[in-house]
Amino acid sequence: MNCEVCQLKELQVEQFEIREVLRCILHTIVFHRALGLVRPRDIDLELFDITYVQCGDIEVEKKIDEKIEQFINWVEKHPNKKSQICLSFYQEKNKQASWFTNKIERFYWEQWYINLHVAQHIKIHSGKTHQQKILVDPGESGLDERSIRRTTLEASLREVLFQVIKFVNEKKDHVPAIPSPDCGVVIFPYEITIPSSSDSAFGMDMIKRMLQTGHPTMLS
Amino acid sequence: MASSHNTHSETAKVEQILTEFFPKTLQIILESRAPCISSRNFSGEQVLSSPSSSSSSSSSMRPRDKWFNLALRECSATLENIDLWRPNYHEPMVVDVILVQRQFGLDSVSASPRKDLVRNLSLKEKYPLSFNSDKDEFGSQTKSEKVVERWMVHYESRKNRDSNSGSRRSSNSTAHTYKKTILLLRSLYAFVRLLPAYKVFQDISSSGQIHPFTLAHRVSSFAEPFTRREEAEMQRFVFTPVDTSCGRLCLSVLYRSSLSDINSEPSTPMSPQVIPEYVGSPLADPLKRFPTLPVTIAPSHGSPSSLPFSRRHSWSYDRFRPSPPSVSFSPSPTHSESHALISNPAFPRLPPSSLPSQLPEMVTGHKDNMNYDEYYPSPVFSQSPSLSPPIRIRVKRLPNGLLQSESAPPSAPIAKLPHSPALSSKPNLPPSPPLKASGAIISRINRDVGPLPAGSAIGKSSSLGRDESQRISGWRVSSNNSPISRSSSRSFPDDLDDPEFPCPFDVDEDEMTDRGSR
Repeated sequence: MNCEVCQLKELQVEQFEIREVLRCILHTIVFHRALGLVRPRDIDLELFDITYVQCGDIEVEKKIDEKIEQFINWVEKHPNKKSQICLSFYQEKNKQASWFTNKIERFYWEQWYINLHVAQHIKIHSGKTHQQKILVDPGESGLDERSIRRTTLEASLREVLFQVIKFVNEKKDHVPAIPSPDCGVVIFPYEITIPSSSDSAFGMDMIKRMLQTGHPTMLS
Repeated sequence: MASSHNTHSETAKVEQILTEFFPKTLQIILESRAPCISSRNFSGEQVLSSPSSSSSSSSSMRPRDKWFNLALRECSATLENIDLWRPNYHEPMVVDVILVQRQFGLDSVSASPRKDLVRNLSLKEKYPLSFNSDKDEFGSQTKSEKVVERWMVHYESRKNRDSNSGSRRSSNSTAHTYKKTILLLRSLYAFVRLLPAYKVFQDISSSGQIHPFTLAHRVSSFAEPFTRREEAEMQRFVFTPVDTSCGRLCLSVLYRSSLSDINSEPSTPMSPQVIPEYVGSPLADPLKRFPTLPVTIAPSHGSPSSLPFSRRHSWSYDRFRPSPPSVSFSPSPTHSESHALISNPAFPRLPPSSLPSQLPEMVTGHKDNMNYDEYYPSPVFSQSPSLSPPIRIRVKRLPNGLLQSESAPPSAPIAKLPHSPALSSKPNLPPSPPLKASGAIISRINRDVGPLPAGSAIGKSSSLGRDESQRISGWRVSSNNSPISRSSSRSFPDDLDDPEFPCPFDVDEDEMTDRGSR
């Protein structure tokens, strides 16, 4: 089966920005894959001047938030790393029952790689004592730098969203038929993969693994 | 034979998809560009309005929701307009989003401080409309317009295509086409929110400040060409066309990648011109103007017989006007007063003792609209009988303590409820038969009157009002079939909550009867 892969532009984020950035990207992708009847919700980011769209499914929201939390935990343990979050869409198909097990196989038809470089910067929230002072002391130049960085990130994030939209627009043929409204499912089955805690060098590792496993369209 | 029949029905399905695609596109665009009651930032009210809407406008709203599996907010003004587009998918559709810079005066009304959100909404509804209109006599002197986005939708049909090959895989390809249009609209939906004009829309819709600008729109089947310079300032995004069995559906946008220059300083093709009476008048002071506004409208409708046109206006405007004050201002004598005024059917808007000085202007404003009035003859209203009764009933109940319960939520509209979870949680509130039981009505009223006048009856009526002006503003395509369009929308698919419908094309007798029973 044809599996389309989209590598999203890498974003330089600070730890406290992870949540919003990931939510924004993940939900945007999911919205484009929630082809059942949805009532979209607009969400304004707090850190950035960006509005993204959620498909309005509570389960989806929960799942995404959970994964993000897991990812943040991972990042705390593995600071200053490039990392990748993968959102994959698949279809389940019953494979020939072998012996006594009815094996369900997943056919991945699309994978989105979100690339983050979590930089260790001044953490606003981390400490009120020492670090806070450092934060304040640099004065305006520090603030400027910060706002420039923020603006840059915002622009990049916007770019990533455009990238998602373009991808969705250009590649439509591989998307499976829309789930029947009767089943009440609005979105294709999906999974979100984050670096596992055992896998310290997840980012590169993942890519290597993918290269080995070989997804036909990955390099396209 | 059978296959030809199939072909035919497949073609019909594709046609239906196309027919629905245009208005849906328009709706998506306007929903995030045209400041209106149900825009995103008023989701608080929307929560409340949506249930009621199911009763008053379910037939027009929900079928459309189901199309492309995308349930949108209500912006009935746009909806009404959208209906007009229905039959015309062979024509291109051009939607210009126009940034209107205002210098002062009436225009600022639409963006006046939102002490009272609801009231402001009603103002917004009214005025953007009149600005949109080129004929607006106030605005025309003092505003400059700039097209910041031009959306173009068109369908290129391939007549010569071998019909057999088309029919062979038609059932397959219809589903495929439909899926692709869904995808296209999803990406459009996300895309409109990433363009700079969306920020302007947000500003206009949400902040409590007076803005020197607003957004208007114009929908037509042709585009006034841009100058080379203008075009150079714009970027183009072309959505990947969707191939159908007999053509392809194209959507693209030209947009200004930066609006910063426009926002900060007026680009003034028209130089600011001070009109003394406006400056000095209470109109210039939005705060002063607020309390008097409903009153202001009143005189123009005071004598329906002598002013037939304004009479109709009174319907539309008044309908949504009265409720705002009741909601937004804390419970006070004024409340019941305003309601009492409205309650009297014979004198819907009794001219209050204090005749505001701005009256003349207001009236003129109406006159301006009158030209268009003929397109919306009163039958429009009589056709939807559910409209009037709720208002009367509501009024009657007000003194009986219902008012208290209603006055409780005033803060709600002001509080920004950003994402209206209720919307998603209960999208299909059962349509309450409008006027059967007074109990039902009361409960409905409660909901309506709460934060949002956009509730069932009122919302609907407001939509009419807005609709009117929207047409004036946006639709150059004049049409006299508002009632028709509404009913036509009924003939389209059906309710969201009908599980029997795997696909919106399947229109059959069921729904007709279903509808009839409603």
